[in-house]
Amino acid sequence: MSVVAPIPADQAPLLARPFYAGGDPGPIAATLAHVPELMEVTLPFVSTALSPSAVDARTKEIVIVRTSAILGCRYCVDTHTPVAIDAGLTVDEVRSLRMEPGPGVDEVFGSERERALVAWTDEVAGGRGRVQADLTRALRTHVSDHELVELTVLVGATMLLNRYATALELPVSAGTLARLAAAGFETGS
Amino acid sequence: MTSVADAVRDGVIGERLWFYANYHCNLVCTYCLTESGPSVARRGLDPGWMLARAHEAKELGFGALGITGGEPFMVATMPETAAALGAVLPTVVLSNATLFAGSRLERVAEHLAGADVHVQVSLDAPNARDNDTQRGDGNWTSVTEAVPRLVERGVKVRIATTTEGLEPGDLDRLCSLHRSWGIPDTDHVVRPVVARGRAALAGMGVEAGPDDLAAELCLTADGAFWSAFGPTVRGGRVDTDLLVTRTTTPLQVPAAAMVRLAAGRPAGTDAVLGIR
Repeated sequence: MSVVAPIPADQAPLLARPFYAGGDPGPIAATLAHVPELMEVTLPFVSTALSPSAVDARTKEIVIVRTSAILGCRYCVDTHTPVAIDAGLTVDEVRSLRMEPGPGVDEVFGSERERALVAWTDEVAGGRGRVQADLTRALRTHVSDHELVELTVLVGATMLLNRYATALELPVSAGTLARLAAAGFETGS
Repeated sequence: MTSVADAVRDGVIGERLWFYANYHCNLVCTYCLTESGPSVARRGLDPGWMLARAHEAKELGFGALGITGGEPFMVATMPETAAALGAVLPTVVLSNATLFAGSRLERVAEHLAGADVHVQVSLDAPNARDNDTQRGDGNWTSVTEAVPRLVERGVKVRIATTTEGLEPGDLDRLCSLHRSWGIPDTDHVVRPVVARGRAALAGMGVEAGPDDLAAELCLTADGAFWSAFGPTVRGGRVDTDLLVTRTTTPLQVPAAAMVRLAAGRPAGTDAVLGIR
């Protein structure tokens, strides 16, 4: 049970109705619907930030899962684990991003670009003040200006969702929990 | 983007801006949209805040104001507030008229006589039996005594009849009654019970969505809604299906959202059920 009750379809405010057109919009949308004028700008923003774009889905899911793990967001880590696997990450790669016991990122990820991406994400999501220049320099050898902008917005958007889902205690869907269990993941971490 | 003034001028949205002044009431009507009664939370709007929004409304291009509740005159300063709003734009205040006696009546007359304010009084049947079934024992007598007193003192009065269907001859008898008070037919509204709030729980009224309701913006303590029939309460919870925005200040925010929502709506659909 979340802190704020999700708004059911038959009570969806007028500006929120398009987000219910495809059925249950999920707990983030159904709670944001309490403030429809905020919902109608927030959801397109986070959807654009988190969905595949000029930056591929695998890269984005590395950032999303890792940021969520750094922020300790159970909802986002669990919800994006299957999404990450669907985007091409292996179970071991996802386990390392989730910071589960076992091999770490440097052992699991063979790509220098992806190891630099995770180190930079750890710093942006978990650090305070300036971002260590050497981590940014390392990532800059692999990404362009526009990709760095997108990745930075992605970390920020994910952190927004992390704190939103954690503060409001949003529940992970039964379908996601079943899929995690089938893949051998622990949930509720 | 269409301005609010253009939208009002072109009939895309209604010219009247509504305020839910409060939610408490001295009556417990069977079909009340807001489950109002003596013991419900007031959830009132500050009079100064309403006046500020009224000035904003005029600047944006709205052409009229409305005050409803609850029973607005449960708020002691309502006569002054209604007069102040009426000085900005023509105003209608919806009332059950059961509080208009003694010093209260004189205060209402003092502030509203000659003002650009109509008091719209609910009277649902031409006889006490049928009226009081919906509105409570003694209501018909109170109303039929209060309305002539208001009219005599120069307060403009309209009559609103909310019904699930009048018996043959009832409308004629109702109209004879209000004409005898000097209230013309143009100031008598007849409308169906809407199946929201207490009416829905009691299985009364007609189902109404946004296409059936006039696109009039309505401000409440809970946000801005589509129509004065929107911010209803069922089982103690405010319905959100006709919520437009939680933001009410600046008025431009909900007004612009209302214009966007109403744009492209088929003309005339809100006239079919006669919900006014």
